[in-house]
Amino acid sequence: MGNDVKPTYTLDERGEVCPVPDVDTRRKLKEMKSGEILEVLIDYALSKERIPAGVKEVGGEVISIEEIGPSEWRILIKKL
Amino acid sequence: MDPRLQGLLVGILFGIVLQRGRICFNSAIRDVKMTKDNYLMKMALVAILVETIGFHLAAQLGWIKLNPLPLVPLAQIIGGFLFGMGMVLAGGCASGITYRIGEGYITAFVAAVFFGVTASAVRGGPLSFVNSWMGKPITTTDNPGGLYAAKDGAVNLTIANMLNINPWIVAIIFAIILFIVVIAWKTTERKVSGLDWITGGIALGLVGIIAYVSQKTYALGITGGWVNLFRTTTANLDLTKPIPYNWIGMEIVGIIVGAYIASLFAKEFRLRVPKDPKTFVQVAIGGILMGFGAGSAGGCNIGHILSGLPHLAISSIIFTVFAVLGNWFMVWYLFERR
Repeated sequence: MGNDVKPTYTLDERGEVCPVPDVDTRRKLKEMKSGEILEVLIDYALSKERIPAGVKEVGGEVISIEEIGPSEWRILIKKL
Repeated sequence: MDPRLQGLLVGILFGIVLQRGRICFNSAIRDVKMTKDNYLMKMALVAILVETIGFHLAAQLGWIKLNPLPLVPLAQIIGGFLFGMGMVLAGGCASGITYRIGEGYITAFVAAVFFGVTASAVRGGPLSFVNSWMGKPITTTDNPGGLYAAKDGAVNLTIANMLNINPWIVAIIFAIILFIVVIAWKTTERKVSGLDWITGGIALGLVGIIAYVSQKTYALGITGGWVNLFRTTTANLDLTKPIPYNWIGMEIVGIIVGAYIASLFAKEFRLRVPKDPKTFVQVAIGGILMGFGAGSAGGCNIGHILSGLPHLAISSIIFTVFAVLGNWFMVWYLFERR
């Protein structure tokens, strides 16, 4: 699931300090149009747990979370 | 057992719990405001609840004397606010930047070095003159129940000894309030891959009680440990007058080792380097503010919040209020203004 979806935007948040990944994701989602897909690359487990809860508030929905390496994930979020 | 070995072992336990619980007071305080997420805050409240009962019980049984941190109002107000601002810039509280070193965060290491060096400078180093601006500790001679540690008859202020009532009365009321808040406040949903908020909170509280019984003079702390590591390693090069490593210095080493082991087992260890070099400047400034704040205030988020609030120490209550305000101010400035 999620592999066949083409992201409209990509944020590479690997290596960033907490809470920059969460904040960038929410900011980007706010300015996106309905139906667009955001791909976020992260490398911290806490972000993986917190982003899905945080994006709801700005009209986003997590479609998939995929492990792409050791402690590395790719999250796909759809703007509703 | 040698106190230093005990400190190391307690530190390892602490590091494992911090890593598995993903416990960060910076996030806990910030999320309540920024994303209305109370998950980590509730974990911290559970830990403080467990410790409130545990510390008073340990003192009642005569295992320890309660040793609240000294009240210097200006130090806790200014230090708390600076510390609160600093942890947002540094990307973690004092315990957060310490255990994240074990997870492979290069920024945490940079922040911790600047934190430790600045705190050492304020506590007995070249910046120690700032302490004279803050004033002298306010103490009392009342020691209800004899549960508190007294120095020449002077006891550091808590709600109980300020009112001169049995500490258990205040402790039980505080514990009931915490319990009601924890039950009534709806937990933010979160799919956790580590410890959930109840398990993590209880585990953290238990480590705090073990730490107090082991170290005797106080429960968990971070600032004093970094100061000890830096001072012992670098300050006195005259080997005939050694400054010994102590319990809390070894606790810091233990936290890093414990978090490293836990993150290896969970396959979460990874060297993480930010792409923008300016991030290093930001975390260094954060570390300096935290070191200055915690150094002058007498403790950080662990010494004052996790270990201090269960004492109902006036110093720790003031520090907590201003650390929260400092954190929220910086969160607003960095992330919410536009």
